Amino acid sequence: MEILPQLIFNSIIAGAIYALVALGFNLIYGTTKFFNLAHGVLSAVGGYAVFFFAKSLGWNLYLSVIIGMLLAGLVGYGLDRFIYRPLRQRKVSNMILLVASLGAFTVIQAVIAILFSSQFKTLSQNVGQQQIYEFWGGIITQTQLVILIVGFIIMAGLLILFKLTLFGKAIKAISNDEEVAKIVGINTNKIIGYVFFIGSAIAGLTGILVGFDTGIEPTMGMSLLLKGVIASIIGGVGNIYGGVVGAFLLGFIENFGIWKISGEWKDAIAFAVLIIFLLFKPGGIFKK
Amino acid sequence: MEYLIHIGILFAFYAILGVSLNLVVGYTGLLSMTHAVFYGLGAYTTAILLTQFGVNFFLSVILGIIIAGVVGLFIGIVLSRFKGDIYALASFGFNIIVFSIFLNWQSLTNGPLGIAGIKKPSLLGFEFSSNFSFLILSLVVLLLIYLLSQFIVKSSFGRVLKAIREDEQAVQVFGYQTIYYKLTIFVIGACMAAVAGSLFASYISFVDPSSFVLMESIFVLAIIILGGLANLRGALLGALFLILLPEILRFVGFPSDIAAQMRQVIYGLILIFLMLYRPQGLMGEYKL
Repeated sequence: MEILPQLIFNSIIAGAIYALVALGFNLIYGTTKFFNLAHGVLSAVGGYAVFFFAKSLGWNLYLSVIIGMLLAGLVGYGLDRFIYRPLRQRKVSNMILLVASLGAFTVIQAVIAILFSSQFKTLSQNVGQQQIYEFWGGIITQTQLVILIVGFIIMAGLLILFKLTLFGKAIKAISNDEEVAKIVGINTNKIIGYVFFIGSAIAGLTGILVGFDTGIEPTMGMSLLLKGVIASIIGGVGNIYGGVVGAFLLGFIENFGIWKISGEWKDAIAFAVLIIFLLFKPGGIFKK
Repeated sequence: MEYLIHIGILFAFYAILGVSLNLVVGYTGLLSMTHAVFYGLGAYTTAILLTQFGVNFFLSVILGIIIAGVVGLFIGIVLSRFKGDIYALASFGFNIIVFSIFLNWQSLTNGPLGIAGIKKPSLLGFEFSSNFSFLILSLVVLLLIYLLSQFIVKSSFGRVLKAIREDEQAVQVFGYQTIYYKLTIFVIGACMAAVAGSLFASYISFVDPSSFVLMESIFVLAIIILGGLANLRGALLGALFLILLPEILRFVGFPSDIAAQMRQVIYGLILIFLMLYRPQGLMGEYKL
């Protein structure tokens, strides 16, 4: 095992995970313009759903993954329908939406901890016996390969959705100006609801993938979310592709940062990068 | 009786944190989510000075105030570049960075194991060793901080803060350098939180990083949002309610680890419902 290829692989895998979170987060931010702090906890919803259906009930794994995604999507949709939409209609400030999402995050995380205890759990059945692939002296596990493939499929899928469908155009219209979008006859509430569903389902899938790679715990959502938010801000918040670039950049900075500094500083490095970007390049790399 | 005294002491700590954060969030309108940092700085200063250098408790409080003030000044300067939700997010970041320092600067803070054996305060030969005397000490400190805060918000300085919250540009037009006002109140809030931290360290006689996580900052925020933004008595009410809540849950018969999570569920719900129906809190004068 050589250090440089391994670091590059680790960076790309971390980047793919952050990119998935950033995609969902940016999608929601783009249409609603507020920081949905409850976004990350939906990955814990997805992860624990798979844990429950596949490991506790012994259902088919692929079916459980689909249920996990749907469940995360539905919870995200529900949050919009019952909390954010009523608030948006009252035209409240972003801070109120932010605090409300913080409340939603706290509730969901605590409910998961009550149902499943706060212990660390792993999703994969055969721990330590995973298929391992070697490229140029670096090692990558089967799960990580799946993460990369799924990550790129989702990114490509969203690209097609935005560029080629009417739905994508409607989202773009709402991001530009919700009022005008309403005037030209777009049902903005419905579209935003769908956006929440899609973004949250992607977050759920991310949680499932992370669960297979390392494991799940109720608090996993916050750290994933924060990485996703940092990636979005580095890339240019609200800019979907910028978020992906930011995610990979963050993956590289974090993993190469701990080459010389010890691994526990990963989170601190990520936030230092965030604050540096906010100070010197607040619009991100790809300013909208 | 011992039990009620314990609750009273906890109430005093969180009331100090609530009152000081209310100066920043309620009166000045800066949504800071980094208050646990200053709480922790005070606690660690006292812990290290008392266990390693045998310094008097009250001297360590003063040093804690100075350290929290200096760090608060630095964080405040960086944060003063931001507004609204980006401000909240960046303040989040500082909480994570400082938490990471508490956790990983092993030689100074003893990392996740924490520092044990912190002595009770003593003054002129009298030792506050009984819980009752400690309660009196905490309440006296709370009273002093409350009176100081009341003096601040009623002074002309306090009126400028409220004006900044309502319309910063208008205040600037009148020739006020608003940044100095914002920095001053941020540093004052930080210094007050450090006092609560010093008391906490000495009372529990043990500190570890887990007391100063992001959730703790959010908890203090929930206290003041519940009690009422820009209302000092509201902060007391909020602290009383949210401290009593887990105890009530325990009486109802939840086991204590579930009760801890139930507390989070309930204060998450409180945040959501307040944002939906009463964004200024119970006694508040300002909506986010």
